[in-house]
Amino acid sequence: MKGMDIHLNEDQIIKAVVDQNDLSADERSHLSTCSVCQGKKKQFEQELNNLGRMVKECAPLPERKLIPLYQEPLQKSWGSWFWRPVFVCGVALILLIAGIWFSTPYKSYREYKTAQLIEEIEDDQKFMDAIEVLEEKVLFNFYPDVSGEPYSYVDDEFLEFIFPLEESQYST
Amino acid sequence: MQAIDNDYQIIELVEKAKDGNKASLGQLVNLFYEDIYFMVYCRTNSRMDAEDLTQGILMQMVKNLARLKDTSRFRSWFFKIAINHVRDFHRKKRWSFFNTTSEMYDFDKEVTDNHNNLENLMMKKEFWKRFHQFAERLSRGEREVFILRFVDHLRIREIGEVLNKSESTIKTNLYRALKKFKQNPELHDLLKGGV
Repeated sequence: MKGMDIHLNEDQIIKAVVDQNDLSADERSHLSTCSVCQGKKKQFEQELNNLGRMVKECAPLPERKLIPLYQEPLQKSWGSWFWRPVFVCGVALILLIAGIWFSTPYKSYREYKTAQLIEEIEDDQKFMDAIEVLEEKVLFNFYPDVSGEPYSYVDDEFLEFIFPLEESQYST
Repeated sequence: MQAIDNDYQIIELVEKAKDGNKASLGQLVNLFYEDIYFMVYCRTNSRMDAEDLTQGILMQMVKNLARLKDTSRFRSWFFKIAINHVRDFHRKKRWSFFNTTSEMYDFDKEVTDNHNNLENLMMKKEFWKRFHQFAERLSRGEREVFILRFVDHLRIREIGEVLNKSESTIKTNLYRALKKFKQNPELHDLLKGGV
């Protein structure tokens, strides 16, 4: 641009709208003093501003409300939402077990069960004693005489009679 | 952006929100809610989709805010989340069995609901028709840069951060898009007069 009376062309105006610093020094100095070129640039910028404004005016306004975008921060001492119920359940379970263990009804039940067990052992012992007596003395006192059972009769002579020795066999 | 448009105030809010200040986080959400909604609507052309996506984008912002190191880059970081969210949406929609075009759905519904503002609604419909016709003439890169700059009002540096491109690439795309915009008499004329 040699003379100040030569106005900026359309391309230069566009360039000025994009970024005024991209113009040469002469073009810039002309633009800063020329009201015609300033007017052209301003008019073009106004059209572009209108575009932005019209987009907003011609677009339908949002109807839906925003869903809340943030939540309450978690308390660090309690940890995450997963661990809190787990912790509470654990404590409740421990308390329940301790309650049952040390409660009176359970204690008496344990005593009852122990007494029952001792009684059963005593009964078993009595039964085993009776079996042992029967094993040794199967019949009453007078029955062995009737049956000839007393083993006092089983002497050597009797045995020899039942199972004769070889010598006595040859002798006869 | 409504009352607070000051970068310093935004940075202050972001820092407080990062420290767990719920009031600041709420303010930040309220501050950017409409911007993000309109940004998404402009790219989906469906109110319901825009509402769903905006909710998702804001949730992602809240979830990842602690990871943001440079609070002065909050705007570009936030818009990057939004852009990626919208891209994912379009990618999923492309492969969706129920891929129906929701274009102009909102207007048809509004026309049946509000008979009184019929003229206004028709004008809005005409604007979007021309806007989309113009946007279709742009390449993908040009379109993204143009909308981010003149609809979402991001700075060139911020656009570069959002799209992971150099400032010179952004300027080149912007220059080309503006040239096409100048050559588009229909939208151009509509904007000269305003609404």
